[in-house]
Amino acid sequence: MGEKELIQELKQGNEPAFRWLVETYRNRVFHTVLNILQDTKEAEDAAQETFIQVFESVGSFKEASSLSTWIYRIAVRKALDKIRRRKTREKLHKLLPWWIPDEKKSSSDFFYHPGIEAENKEKAAVLFKAIESLPEKQKLAFTLIKVQGMNYQEACELMQQNIKAVESLITRAKTNLQNQLEDYYNELNK
Amino acid sequence: MKEKATPLLDEHLQSLNHMQEGGTDDFFYTRLKARMEKEKAPVGFNFPLKPVWIVATLMLLLLVNGLMLTQQFKTKKSTDTASSSLQNFAASYDQNISSSY
Repeated sequence: MGEKELIQELKQGNEPAFRWLVETYRNRVFHTVLNILQDTKEAEDAAQETFIQVFESVGSFKEASSLSTWIYRIAVRKALDKIRRRKTREKLHKLLPWWIPDEKKSSSDFFYHPGIEAENKEKAAVLFKAIESLPEKQKLAFTLIKVQGMNYQEACELMQQNIKAVESLITRAKTNLQNQLEDYYNELNK
Repeated sequence: MKEKATPLLDEHLQSLNHMQEGGTDDFFYTRLKARMEKEKAPVGFNFPLKPVWIVATLMLLLLVNGLMLTQQFKTKKSTDTASSSLQNFAASYDQNISSSY
Protein backbone atom coordinates (compact mmCIF):
# COMPACT_ATOMS: atom_id res chain seq x y z
CA MET A 1 0.00 0.00 0.00
CA GLY A 2 1.40 3.41 -0.98
CA GLU A 3 1.63 6.23 1.58
CA LYS A 4 -1.01 8.38 -0.11
CA GLU A 5 -3.40 5.44 -0.27
CA LEU A 6 -2.71 4.60 3.38
CA ILE A 7 -3.40 8.19 4.45
CA GLN A 8 -6.68 8.17 2.52
CA GLU A 9 -7.71 4.90 4.19
CA LEU A 10 -6.78 6.30 7.60
CA LYS A 11 -8.75 9.47 6.97
CA GLN A 12 -11.78 7.32 6.22
CA GLY A 13 -11.33 5.54 9.57
CA ASN A 14 -10.42 2.19 8.01
CA GLU A 15 -9.47 -0.12 10.90
CA PRO A 16 -7.27 -2.61 9.00
CA ALA A 17 -5.25 0.35 7.68
CA PHE A 18 -4.84 1.69 11.21
CA ARG A 19 -3.79 -1.75 12.46
CA TRP A 20 -1.24 -2.01 9.65
CA LEU A 21 0.13 1.42 10.59
CA VAL A 22 0.41 0.48 14.28
CA GLU A 23 2.10 -2.85 13.52
CA THR A 24 4.55 -1.14 11.16
CA TYR A 25 5.56 1.75 13.39
CA ARG A 26 5.02 0.50 16.96
CA ASN A 27 8.56 -0.75 17.56
CA ARG A 28 10.29 2.35 16.23
CA VAL A 29 7.88 4.67 18.07
CA PHE A 30 8.39 2.71 21.30
CA HIS A 31 12.17 2.72 20.82
CA THR A 32 12.19 6.49 20.26
CA VAL A 33 10.11 7.32 23.32
CA LEU A 34 11.97 4.75 25.44
CA ASN A 35 15.30 6.42 24.67
CA ILE A 36 13.87 9.80 25.64
CA LEU A 37 11.91 8.73 28.72
CA GLN A 38 14.27 5.98 29.99
CA ASP A 39 11.30 4.19 31.52
CA THR A 40 9.57 1.16 29.97
CA LYS A 41 6.12 1.76 31.48
CA GLU A 42 6.02 5.43 30.53
CA ALA A 43 7.31 4.57 27.06
CA GLU A 44 4.45 2.10 26.50
CA ASP A 45 2.00 4.76 27.64
CA ALA A 46 3.52 7.42 25.38
CA ALA A 47 3.54 5.02 22.41
CA GLN A 48 -0.17 4.29 22.94
CA GLU A 49 -0.96 8.02 23.25
CA THR A 50 0.96 8.63 20.01
CA PHE A 51 -1.20 6.21 18.02
CA ILE A 52 -4.39 7.52 19.61
CA GLN A 53 -3.38 11.03 18.54
CA VAL A 54 -2.52 9.74 15.04
CA PHE A 55 -5.96 8.12 14.78
CA GLU A 56 -7.76 11.23 16.02
CA SER A 57 -5.91 13.86 14.01
CA VAL A 58 -5.06 12.11 10.74
CA GLY A 59 -8.01 13.99 9.24
CA SER A 60 -6.13 17.26 9.69
CA PHE A 61 -2.77 15.87 8.48
CA LYS A 62 -1.75 18.20 5.64
CA GLU A 63 1.00 15.95 4.25
CA ALA A 64 3.60 18.72 4.52
CA SER A 65 6.01 16.08 5.81
CA SER A 66 6.12 12.31 5.36
CA LEU A 67 3.72 10.21 7.42
CA SER A 68 6.59 8.67 9.40
CA THR A 69 8.05 12.09 10.31
CA TRP A 70 4.61 13.23 11.42
CA ILE A 71 4.18 10.14 13.60
CA TYR A 72 7.64 10.46 15.18
CA ARG A 73 7.04 14.16 15.81
CA ILE A 74 3.88 13.29 17.73
CA ALA A 75 5.82 10.59 19.62
CA VAL A 76 8.59 13.02 20.59
CA ARG A 77 6.01 15.58 21.73
CA LYS A 78 4.26 12.95 23.87
CA ALA A 79 7.56 11.93 25.44
CA LEU A 80 8.49 15.54 26.19
CA ASP A 81 5.03 16.12 27.72
CA LYS A 82 5.64 13.18 30.02
CA ILE A 83 9.02 14.56 31.07
CA ARG A 84 7.44 17.96 31.81
CA ARG A 85 4.67 16.31 33.84
CA ARG A 86 7.29 14.27 35.71
CA LYS A 87 9.14 17.50 36.59
CA THR A 88 5.90 19.17 37.74
CA ARG A 89 5.12 16.18 39.97
CA GLU A 90 8.62 16.37 41.44
CA LYS A 91 8.15 20.07 42.20
CA LEU A 92 4.74 19.40 43.74
CA HIS A 93 6.25 16.59 45.80
CA LYS A 94 8.80 19.04 47.20
CA LEU A 95 5.97 21.42 48.13
CA LEU A 96 3.55 18.81 49.49
CA PRO A 97 5.54 15.66 50.27
CA TRP A 98 2.69 14.15 52.34
CA TRP A 99 0.24 14.53 49.47
CA ILE A 100 2.11 13.81 46.25
CA PRO A 101 3.87 10.44 46.14
CA ASP A 102 7.57 10.53 45.27
CA GLU A 103 8.01 9.14 41.77
CA LYS A 104 11.49 10.51 41.24
CA LYS A 105 14.11 7.85 40.75
CA SER A 106 16.71 7.89 43.48
CA SER A 107 20.24 8.91 42.52
CA SER A 108 21.35 5.29 42.58
CA ASP A 109 18.66 4.26 40.06
CA PHE A 110 20.01 3.50 36.62
CA PHE A 111 18.15 2.79 33.43
CA TYR A 112 19.24 -0.51 31.90
CA HIS A 113 18.18 -0.38 28.28
CA PRO A 114 16.62 -3.71 27.21
CA GLY A 115 18.25 -3.57 23.77
CA ILE A 116 21.86 -3.25 24.93
CA GLU A 117 24.27 -6.18 25.12
CA ALA A 118 24.92 -7.50 28.63
CA GLU A 119 28.62 -6.55 28.72
CA ASN A 120 27.80 -2.93 27.80
CA LYS A 121 24.82 -2.45 30.11
CA GLU A 122 26.73 -0.79 32.98
CA LYS A 123 28.53 1.75 30.82
CA ALA A 124 25.34 2.53 28.89
CA ALA A 125 23.45 3.02 32.16
CA VAL A 126 26.03 5.57 33.35
CA LEU A 127 25.72 7.37 30.02
CA PHE A 128 21.89 7.37 30.17
CA LYS A 129 22.05 8.84 33.67
CA ALA A 130 24.24 11.67 32.42
CA ILE A 131 21.96 12.26 29.41
CA GLU A 132 18.93 12.52 31.70
CA SER A 133 20.35 15.57 33.43
CA LEU A 134 20.93 17.54 30.21
CA PRO A 135 18.68 20.51 29.36
CA GLU A 136 15.61 19.41 27.34
CA LYS A 137 16.70 20.43 23.83
CA GLN A 138 20.25 19.12 24.23
CA LYS A 139 18.87 15.87 25.59
CA LEU A 140 16.49 15.47 22.67
CA ALA A 141 19.06 16.27 19.99
CA PHE A 142 21.69 13.99 21.55
CA THR A 143 19.22 11.13 22.05
CA LEU A 144 17.87 11.27 18.52
CA ILE A 145 21.24 11.56 16.80
CA LYS A 146 23.78 9.81 19.00
CA VAL A 147 21.63 7.23 20.79
CA GLN A 148 18.91 6.52 18.26
CA GLY A 149 21.28 6.92 15.29
CA MET A 150 19.09 9.30 13.27
CA ASN A 151 20.75 11.49 10.69
CA TYR A 152 20.88 15.26 11.23
CA GLN A 153 18.29 15.92 8.53
CA GLU A 154 15.69 13.63 10.16
CA ALA A 155 16.40 15.07 13.60
CA CYS A 156 16.06 18.62 12.29
CA GLU A 157 12.66 17.79 10.80
CA LEU A 158 11.49 16.18 14.03
CA MET A 159 12.73 19.00 16.21
CA GLN A 160 11.68 21.67 13.70
CA GLN A 161 15.07 23.34 14.05
CA ASN A 162 17.69 24.23 11.47
CA ILE A 163 20.85 22.19 11.10
CA LYS A 164 23.12 24.81 12.68
CA ALA A 165 20.95 24.92 15.81
CA VAL A 166 20.98 21.13 16.12
CA GLU A 167 24.76 20.97 15.59
CA SER A 168 25.23 23.55 18.30
CA LEU A 169 22.97 21.57 20.67
CA ILE A 170 25.02 18.43 20.02
CA THR A 171 28.32 20.23 20.67
CA ARG A 172 27.05 21.65 23.96
CA ALA A 173 25.54 18.30 24.96
CA LYS A 174 28.86 16.52 24.30
CA THR A 175 30.81 19.00 26.44
CA ASN A 176 28.29 18.74 29.26
CA LEU A 177 28.26 14.95 29.12
CA GLN A 178 32.07 14.73 29.13
CA ASN A 179 32.16 16.96 32.24
CA GLN A 180 29.43 14.97 33.96
CA LEU A 181 31.11 11.64 33.27
CA GLU A 182 34.42 13.01 34.58
CA ASP A 183 32.68 14.22 37.74
CA TYR A 184 30.92 10.86 38.15
CA TYR A 185 34.15 8.85 37.99
CA ASN A 186 36.05 11.33 40.17
CA GLU A 187 33.30 11.00 42.78
CA LEU A 188 33.41 7.21 42.49
CA ASN A 189 37.20 7.08 42.95
CA LYS A 190 37.19 9.25 46.09
CA MET B 1 33.97 26.22 16.24
CA LYS B 2 36.59 23.73 17.33
CA GLU B 3 35.06 20.85 19.28
CA LYS B 4 36.56 19.91 22.62
CA ALA B 5 37.85 16.33 22.80
CA THR B 6 35.47 14.05 24.68
CA PRO B 7 37.33 10.75 25.15
CA LEU B 8 35.27 9.53 28.11
CA LEU B 9 32.01 10.22 26.31
CA ASP B 10 33.25 8.52 23.13
CA GLU B 11 34.17 5.46 25.17
CA HIS B 12 30.68 5.34 26.68
CA LEU B 13 29.01 5.93 23.33
CA GLN B 14 30.66 2.76 22.06
CA SER B 15 28.57 0.81 24.57
CA LEU B 16 25.51 1.74 22.47
CA ASN B 17 26.92 0.04 19.37
CA HIS B 18 24.79 -2.90 18.22
CA MET B 19 21.88 -1.66 20.36
CA GLN B 20 18.72 -3.57 19.49
CA GLU B 21 15.47 -1.73 18.97
CA GLY B 22 13.62 -1.99 22.29
CA GLY B 23 10.23 -3.05 20.95
CA THR B 24 6.80 -3.75 22.36
CA ASP B 25 5.20 -7.19 22.51
CA ASP B 26 2.66 -8.60 20.01
CA PHE B 27 -0.32 -7.55 22.15
CA PHE B 28 0.40 -3.85 21.80
CA TYR B 29 -2.44 -3.34 19.31
CA THR B 30 -4.91 -5.19 21.56
CA ARG B 31 -4.00 -2.98 24.52
CA LEU B 32 -4.19 0.11 22.34
CA LYS B 33 -7.67 -0.79 21.04
CA ALA B 34 -8.88 -1.52 24.58
CA ARG B 35 -7.65 1.89 25.72
CA MET B 36 -9.26 3.62 22.76
CA GLU B 37 -12.59 1.89 23.47
CA LYS B 38 -12.34 2.84 27.15
CA GLU B 39 -11.61 6.47 26.33
CA LYS B 40 -14.45 6.54 23.79
CA ALA B 41 -17.02 5.26 26.30
CA PRO B 42 -19.11 8.13 27.73
CA VAL B 43 -18.38 8.78 31.36
CA GLY B 44 -20.66 10.40 33.89
CA PHE B 45 -19.51 13.29 36.03
CA ASN B 46 -16.58 12.32 38.15
CA PHE B 47 -15.55 14.52 41.01
CA PRO B 48 -12.00 15.55 40.21
CA LEU B 49 -9.89 13.70 42.75
CA LYS B 50 -6.53 14.57 41.28
CA PRO B 51 -4.24 16.10 43.94
CA VAL B 52 -3.79 19.22 41.87
CA TRP B 53 -7.57 19.90 41.93
CA ILE B 54 -7.83 19.19 45.63
CA VAL B 55 -4.92 21.50 46.43
CA ALA B 56 -6.41 24.20 44.18
CA THR B 57 -9.81 23.87 45.91
CA LEU B 58 -8.18 24.10 49.35
CA MET B 59 -6.21 27.17 48.29
CA LEU B 60 -9.39 28.80 47.00
CA LEU B 61 -11.21 28.07 50.26
CA LEU B 62 -8.32 29.51 52.26
CA LEU B 63 -8.33 32.62 50.07
CA VAL B 64 -12.09 33.09 50.51
CA ASN B 65 -11.71 32.60 54.27
CA GLY B 66 -8.91 35.14 54.40
CA LEU B 67 -10.93 37.68 52.44
CA MET B 68 -13.97 37.16 54.68
CA LEU B 69 -11.87 37.64 57.83
CA THR B 70 -10.28 40.81 56.45
CA GLN B 71 -13.70 42.12 55.47
CA GLN B 72 -15.12 41.34 58.92
CA PHE B 73 -12.17 43.02 60.63
CA LYS B 74 -12.67 46.16 58.51
CA THR B 75 -16.43 46.27 59.27
CA LYS B 76 -15.80 45.89 63.01
CA LYS B 77 -13.22 48.66 62.95
CA SER B 78 -15.58 51.07 61.16
CA THR B 79 -18.46 50.21 63.58
CA ASP B 80 -16.12 50.93 66.52
CA THR B 81 -15.13 54.25 64.97
CA ALA B 82 -18.77 55.16 64.36
CA SER B 83 -19.89 54.34 67.93
CA SER B 84 -16.97 56.23 69.50
CA SER B 85 -17.75 59.35 67.45
CA LEU B 86 -21.40 59.14 68.60
CA GLN B 87 -20.23 58.97 72.24
CA ASN B 88 -17.96 61.98 71.67
CA PHE B 89 -20.88 63.90 70.24
CA ALA B 90 -23.13 63.01 73.18
CA ALA B 91 -20.40 63.92 75.66
CA SER B 92 -19.72 67.29 74.08
CA TYR B 93 -23.40 68.27 74.43
CA ASP B 94 -23.67 66.66 77.83
CA GLN B 95 -26.30 64.26 76.56
CA ASN B 96 -25.10 61.16 78.37
CA ILE B 97 -27.86 59.42 80.30
CA SER B 98 -25.76 59.30 83.48
CA SER B 99 -25.24 63.12 83.41
CA SER B 100 -28.99 63.93 83.55
CA TYR B 101 -29.20 62.74 87.12
